[in-house]
Amino acid sequence: MFGYYFSLAMRSLRSTPVMSALMIAAIAVGVGASMTTLTLNYMMSQNALQHKDQVLYAVQLDSWGAENAANNDSQMPWELSYRDATALLRSDIPVRQVAMHRWGGTVSQENSELRPFTADIRVTTADFFALFDIPFIHGGTWNKEADTNPQRQVVLSKATNEKLFNGENSVGRTINLSGEPYTVMGVIEHWNPSPKVHDLNNGAFNDSADIYLPFGLHRQLQIYSWGNTNGWKSEDIESYEDFLNSHYVWIQYWVELENSQQKKDYENFLTAYIQSQKAEGRYPRPLKFGLTQPSEWLVVNEVLSDDNRVLGWLSLAFLLVCVINAVALLLAKFLRKAPEAGVRRALGASRGAIFSQHLMESGCIGLIGGIAGILLTVAGLSGIRLLQMGRFDNIASMDWVMVLAAIGLAIVASLLAGLYPAWRISRTNPSIYLKTQ
Amino acid sequence: MLELRPILSALWRNKIAALLIALQLALTLAIVSNASVIVGERSEKIARPTGMAVEDIITVFFQPVSQNYDMPAAVSADLELLRNIPGVLQATHSNHFPLSGSGSASQYYNKPNQETGGEAANYYQTNPDFIEALGLKLAEGRNFEVSEMQIASINENRDSNVVIITKQFAETLYPGESAVGKYLYGDRSSHPIEIIGVVERHLGAWVSWSRAGNAVFFPELFLAEGNLFMRYLIRTEPGQRDAVLKQIEAKLSERDPQRVIEVETLEEEKNQSYARDNTMIKVLAAVMALLTFIIALGIVGLTSFWINQRRKQIGVRRALGATRAAIGRYFLLENCMIAGTGIALGMAAAQIANGVMVESFKQPALPMSVMLTCALILLGVSLAAALVPALRAANTSPAMATRNV
Amino acid sequence: MLKMQSIRKSYRTDTIETHALRDFSLEVAEGEFVSVTGPSGSGKTTFLNIAGLLETPTGGQYLLDGQDVSNLNDRERSRLRNEKIGFIFQGFNLIPDLNLFDNIDVPLRYRGFNAKERKKRIEKVLEQVGLSARAKHLPAQLSGGQQQRVAIARALAGEPRFLLADEPTGNLDSLMARQVMELLEFINEWGTTIVMVTHDPDLARRAHRNIQVVDGQLSDLQRAHVVAEAANA
Repeated sequence: MFGYYFSLAMRSLRSTPVMSALMIAAIAVGVGASMTTLTLNYMMSQNALQHKDQVLYAVQLDSWGAENAANNDSQMPWELSYRDATALLRSDIPVRQVAMHRWGGTVSQENSELRPFTADIRVTTADFFALFDIPFIHGGTWNKEADTNPQRQVVLSKATNEKLFNGENSVGRTINLSGEPYTVMGVIEHWNPSPKVHDLNNGAFNDSADIYLPFGLHRQLQIYSWGNTNGWKSEDIESYEDFLNSHYVWIQYWVELENSQQKKDYENFLTAYIQSQKAEGRYPRPLKFGLTQPSEWLVVNEVLSDDNRVLGWLSLAFLLVCVINAVALLLAKFLRKAPEAGVRRALGASRGAIFSQHLMESGCIGLIGGIAGILLTVAGLSGIRLLQMGRFDNIASMDWVMVLAAIGLAIVASLLAGLYPAWRISRTNPSIYLKTQ
Repeated sequence: MLELRPILSALWRNKIAALLIALQLALTLAIVSNASVIVGERSEKIARPTGMAVEDIITVFFQPVSQNYDMPAAVSADLELLRNIPGVLQATHSNHFPLSGSGSASQYYNKPNQETGGEAANYYQTNPDFIEALGLKLAEGRNFEVSEMQIASINENRDSNVVIITKQFAETLYPGESAVGKYLYGDRSSHPIEIIGVVERHLGAWVSWSRAGNAVFFPELFLAEGNLFMRYLIRTEPGQRDAVLKQIEAKLSERDPQRVIEVETLEEEKNQSYARDNTMIKVLAAVMALLTFIIALGIVGLTSFWINQRRKQIGVRRALGATRAAIGRYFLLENCMIAGTGIALGMAAAQIANGVMVESFKQPALPMSVMLTCALILLGVSLAAALVPALRAANTSPAMATRNV
Repeated sequence: MLKMQSIRKSYRTDTIETHALRDFSLEVAEGEFVSVTGPSGSGKTTFLNIAGLLETPTGGQYLLDGQDVSNLNDRERSRLRNEKIGFIFQGFNLIPDLNLFDNIDVPLRYRGFNAKERKKRIEKVLEQVGLSARAKHLPAQLSGGQQQRVAIARALAGEPRFLLADEPTGNLDSLMARQVMELLEFINEWGTTIVMVTHDPDLARRAHRNIQVVDGQLSDLQRAHVVAEAANA
């Protein structure tokens, strides 16, 4: 009977083209609008570190001034000072730990066609690649020594290696960074999570770094962060050493803790550390630190902004209006065809058969509306990419989950829309339509 | 009115269909009024004056390849070169580009040695040409003199002796009096900095900052040792920006090829900063327009169907002497009653939705005037949508009464 | 074939209750051709709807082909209607969007026949009513008499044992009416039981038996007849 109902549905849709178009348009526009915002919100909520969500933690220390807590929902600065970060690095409790920040420098090649360019650099400790599960194509990371003592070594992203060395194995070769030579230790696979949960305060949807640089180079190069540097008071900075010892926060910090015992040990370690600092007159606020899992880190950093949530709810309400619209139109259409349903009843169709036949018709509207809705979603997303001027290029696109969701949403919406009209028509008394007036 | 009772009983017999229309209107009003208050707020935000000649300004960022670099000499040579490009009015250097979302801020006080009670402002390190290069207006006092210029680095805390501030910031520090000739102080600092001038307006670095418009300017050339870079702001004659922009990278590289140069426009920076608000406005406007369109079509469709169903009845009324106007009025009145119900429901829904928006999503409150305007517009759309089929109904021939359908 | 015992049917609205049938009893034997007459509003159509399983009686017992149908659910009643009963209406009630072939196809679809079987039956009945050449035409392209012949073909396609006709000639001129009547008599001769509601006394007389419904009941004369027959049986 499925095929029979389907052909009846298509015939019925063709017989009232304007009304069918109106209903399909309503469903398509509703699905298009809600899938555009839902896709954005879904892509913005992706957690690239989901598989390590139970073992990774972003570290925060409340080093802020006595009067005012740090100005965000967690009430703690997002980052650590260099002084605190290097102190924490001395702990051997975490399996792996990363202190890092964003930086930038020029890359040039002598005797080459390549124009010098500014590379996005991540200055980090060696655990970065293992902690975030980034595979290497060639070579590996620098040795741990380079995290504390200056060694001119780098790891390249796949794209940078392609740009500089045509994708060849460049391990052991040198690149010119801000005019100085550095040895390539390794090349990583393409790795560009979006949102980049490991670094949310430099544009959550920006690209990952081009070049990775060891953490032990700060003093030699006088590195200032290209990310945020925040403080709660002015300090007299006479030298770079003063800056490294200051209260200014600019280092992002992650640890990997394998089990709850390790986590407990680390919490005790942090407590003891803050107490030792309080003894030196630092940390005026009540003792507080944060160990936050990646999934939670995305939430507290408000990657999905209030604006996004508003748009999400609004577009769902929009879809609801479209569904109600479709209910009204379907009801009108089905009731107009009530005499035909009456004849079918007389010829042996059960209520169930009439109900299925009409539900099939609304399902078809949903299917066509859903496919049109996907096209509208694709158009909507490219509109968003345009409005966001490139910032959303990584996230304003549909994956297959969202394509299926769009069709599903359209069919569910139109079946819901068709449910009442189909029920109503299947319940009407056939005999009143059979008698000629 | 005489006709109310028959309309009410007709509506009661079609209560589901009438309810569906009313429900659509209610939801639409709730969505549209909340969306339009957001659109209004964001549009006002974007329309705020920046105080700058945004359309005529080009931004240049450069980084020398080698850290072994004489930056002060390069800056003089570059600015000289830039000023000599035909069409360029003025060029200056700056630690940050305004409106770009990247900048620095610090606390300032009107008394020395303070820790609390200060006001935050963006600070810019630039040269005496900045007023002309940004197209700012000096409201009071004087500009910097070349002799007041200093070299500043992160490590050397060499405070300037003079500062120019925005009018907005002047009014925060010295409310109700002229700030010129008075002093401001840094955090926990006893070093007095004389306010020598006040500029009319400068929106600063972060357009969404609660204190946007607080800005101070120091006569300094900022050098980040170990990580040398420089920023220039170039103002062209109106309409000349794009022509000038094309030449800049080539001319600067010609003078000194060993550096990375990025050239953009200030307008681009500004648009980037407002991209989120702009997205909100465009998406919400699209939603409002589509929604109104969809329900208008829905009302046309449903009213047509409904009237079609009652063609015979209308014919009978016409045969019994009802005028065209009376028939048209009947259906418009009917629509009015449905729309009125929907809009009453919608106003309640709009207020509830707005409560959630304010509470959970930090959106603006919905003023009564906006809601009433939206309600009136929707009522108008609903009536206009009903007008088409109502007029057709009015034209029904009395002969319909005798015809078998 | 059909046995109704003390059937009652009343309709309720918010304010009033009307009795369409009151203590209605009737028996129709296999192969009979019964005509039903009576004034407007007497309950003829209600009787036909109950007989055709389109409505359920408020009370009483109805045996169709020996089976008590009072307590069947909608699906079972639809099944019976589909297999045992054919309908013919005054207004033909062809589905305007479907061509003749597809109209006749409707009951066969619900019967669950395969495509081959359906095609065979449709072609057979179309030939019987003499409209084979017009299978692809829409109802609107046919005259009233032709439309009614299609409706009869549709009713016959499932080979029902029992045909219900509601004023089958009411919308036709006298020539066409006679043709349709002849067709019905032909069908009856081949063994199909027919119950026909009509206004036309000439047509009513051509049936084996005429019953009269007045005010929701068989008229007194008829009831006496039924009782007498029952006593003889």
